[in-house]
Amino acid sequence: MASSASSSTGSSKKIDANGGPDTADKEEKKEDRTFECNICLDTARDAVVSMCGHLFCWPCLHQWLETRPSRQVCPVCKAAISKEKVVPLYGRGSTKQEDPREKVPPRPAGQRTEPEGGSTFPGFGFGDTGFHMSFGIGAFPFGFFTSTFNFGDARPGAAPHGTPQHLEEQYLSKLFLWLAVLFIFWLLLA
Amino acid sequence: MANIAAQRIKREFKEVIKSEEVAKCAIRVELVNDNYTELKGEIAGPPDTPYEGGNFILEIKVPETYPFNPPKVRFMTKIWHPNISSVTGAICLDILKDQWAAAMTLRTVLLSLQALLSAAEPDDPQDAVVAKQFKENVEMFQLTARHWTNAYAGGPNANKDFDDKIKKLIEMGVDEHEARVALSSYNWDMERATEQLFS
Ligand SMILES: [Zn+2]
Ligand SMILES: [Zn+2]
Repeated sequence: MASSASSSTGSSKKIDANGGPDTADKEEKKEDRTFECNICLDTARDAVVSMCGHLFCWPCLHQWLETRPSRQVCPVCKAAISKEKVVPLYGRGSTKQEDPREKVPPRPAGQRTEPEGGSTFPGFGFGDTGFHMSFGIGAFPFGFFTSTFNFGDARPGAAPHGTPQHLEEQYLSKLFLWLAVLFIFWLLLA
Repeated sequence: MANIAAQRIKREFKEVIKSEEVAKCAIRVELVNDNYTELKGEIAGPPDTPYEGGNFILEIKVPETYPFNPPKVRFMTKIWHPNISSVTGAICLDILKDQWAAAMTLRTVLLSLQALLSAAEPDDPQDAVVAKQFKENVEMFQLTARHWTNAYAGGPNANKDFDDKIKKLIEMGVDEHEARVALSSYNWDMERATEQLFS
């Protein structure tokens, strides 16, 4: 573990100090392993990253997803994944797009969003004011609700169970919960 | 797909050999043939279990579709455990079935099996007889498992009482392993074991 930590902070000088091209070679290999596909354990080709952050070759991941269509999980952490939600990695030295199309569908493309234009006020088009407004109000009871709870928890001498004060607090929390629920109902109906 | 299975096993093989568990003699792998389709695994019985001090040999078969499908693993060393067949060595462990994930390796499989030896799951049994004993009489189970570790896996703890009972049955013309199975299945009750063996 210690060695991996040292390798991340400007390793080349340290290796020279330690001497030996052997160590340099080993360190290099270790660094390479960061970019190994989690399935074939080789350096990832046509690399993609899942939403949970795990790196694979696209052909490898594709085959994994094909093997178990009913159970689409990350091979490393078992988070839910899908073909549509992987991010391709384009390094500078990445391969041309020609290779594995015969057997494997092409790697999904990256998603590009244009940066926001400077002049318009972002996010407040006239068309969707309704949405923004209701969201603003809707968030209110939640915030209030959670803050009351947090307040109760953080208090140094929170009332012990069974005491009238404790009961009263419980009653208040429940009241707020109901208020929040009613509020959401009202929002839904409105 | 070109043979990714052999490629990967080669890498994993190196990984296991370099791992700290090997240094601690907890796990080991050996090649059985040159094309990396069959290996021999070995795990040490975990401390504070009836398997302590024993060495358990595993047969590992690597399918062509590895690592997209799990390796086929079974115990070659006879073992008394609710999730392992005392007859065939077949293992009931989710990661060797539907919970397999392609990023798992020989190392993680061996370590999971070692963990299984420390924590049996009698509610998901492979060997119904062992699982029943585990649930109904855990002390008897532990004595029996320790005895099997001594008899088959080189464990240090012999049980004189059990050994004597087996000896008696052998004198009656019963095969040693059959005698052990019968006695183990009937909580070392001589009468019931004999009854079952000679019926
Ligand atoms: Zn790969
Ligand atoms: Zn993941």
